[in-house]
Amino acid sequence: MDTKKNIPLIVGLLIPVLMILFVAASIYLPGLFVQPKVSFIFSYGGDYYSRSQYDILNGRITLKSANYPKKESNQWSEPRRESKLYLYDVIRNKSVEISLEEAQKFFLDPSVKSPDGFEITRGEHGFSIFEILTTHGGRWDSSFITGHNVSKRLNLPYKDRYYSRYLDFIGWIIE
Amino acid sequence: MRKEELLQLIRCHARESTITKEELIDAYEQGLKSPAAESQTLIQSRLSAILYFIGGLIVVLGIAILIGQNWNSLNAPSKILSTLGSGIAAFVVGVLFSQNKKFDLIGQAFFFISVLVMPTGLSITFDIAGFDIGSNTLQFLTSIILLATFLGAYSIFKKTVLLIACFIFGTWAFFSLTNLIVGNNPIVRDWKFFDYRVLMTGLTYIFLGYYLSENDTENKETLANWLYGLGIIGFLGAALKLGGWPPHQNPFWELVFPGLVFGTIFLSIYLKNKSFLLFGSLYLMAYIGKISAEYFAHSLGWPLALVIAGLALMATGYFSFYLNKKYISA
Repeated sequence: MDTKKNIPLIVGLLIPVLMILFVAASIYLPGLFVQPKVSFIFSYGGDYYSRSQYDILNGRITLKSANYPKKESNQWSEPRRESKLYLYDVIRNKSVEISLEEAQKFFLDPSVKSPDGFEITRGEHGFSIFEILTTHGGRWDSSFITGHNVSKRLNLPYKDRYYSRYLDFIGWIIE
Repeated sequence: MRKEELLQLIRCHARESTITKEELIDAYEQGLKSPAAESQTLIQSRLSAILYFIGGLIVVLGIAILIGQNWNSLNAPSKILSTLGSGIAAFVVGVLFSQNKKFDLIGQAFFFISVLVMPTGLSITFDIAGFDIGSNTLQFLTSIILLATFLGAYSIFKKTVLLIACFIFGTWAFFSLTNLIVGNNPIVRDWKFFDYRVLMTGLTYIFLGYYLSENDTENKETLANWLYGLGIIGFLGAALKLGGWPPHQNPFWELVFPGLVFGTIFLSIYLKNKSFLLFGSLYLMAYIGKISAEYFAHSLGWPLALVIAGLALMATGYFSFYLNKKYISA
């Protein structure tokens, strides 16, 4: 095999391979060295009115009553959906449903950024030319914890694609 | 060149292994044919090839319309059989025809049918099996199955249509694999990931086009030119887009772009290829327009910027014409 003759072929095939390796390394390598440490509480599954029920007052979670509009007699309205509380354990990468009483035991920080420099972000809807051929119900329903060039997909409990796209972040657990 | 000089030159090339015995015999036999007869055969061969491929396209259209009209009445096995089954059948017929040199072109036309039908067939099969064919995993799986199939067929039959299929499915596999790795990770939000992938794909096409033009005699003219053209469009298009638009310009790409364009234009002289010259000149014109609008329209005023841009475009046009006449066509 004449290597000199095959150099353009080797270079041509190496370009996409190297790019794939580079992209994979950029995505996965930083996560090996930096890990988020502060867990957080979020609510999930509520509708437009119930998802804004939770608030933080002096570091403790409180519950407001959901402000549903008055329903006209013949007007159709979406069925009401309750917003549930979850604790996300960033070390075990797992979420657990908790009650309001349990959540009230924690001192919470509602800042966008955690004390260790991470934040909760929605997933990107990356463009792919092949997406024009298909419909993608499930692409949007993911959230990530990002910071320090690290981005980890959150392991969330939901399956429903349409109603349950995003979590509602409440606060970082300080103590 | 005298006969002795020519023979000496052949000896030199043979010693350096830059020419084979088969190539020499082939050239000798081609020289025995009269130019008129040779060109007549070439025209007939090209005409029949075009007709075979148009026929293939019509067959695909026929299959698509037939399936489309009866889609709701077809059950799952019939849907798979009519799409993937047709694709596999066309592939097998292509393989059978390719065994005989006489039916070589018809064989390629059947491969062409399978290239068009098999992706749809595979997607429908996965869909019926309950998979989400829009997911990155399935996109990658479909593309890699097709790439492996047609790469295997190409390694045996060495047909141009199979090589084209490898480029199409290879590109698809590259994009779907990178999509699969990245997923919808928000970290790529500022990466301009799609643009960089197009840039790299363009560069890959250029290198592979160069390899084909230097080494592969069968696909030399047509496929290498197509790869050069597509590669340059992708590479320079992505580089121009990476430069960005106000107020989010990227100074690195805006400064590097003229170098890339002139590199492309001068590469056209080295490779004696018009694709590089044509697209290099067109992108240079686009760049002049973009820079004039971004930086000079406000300072000089739009009419004066237009005059300068127009003169620069005329200069680019003349420059390309001059290069083509002096170095490429000559």
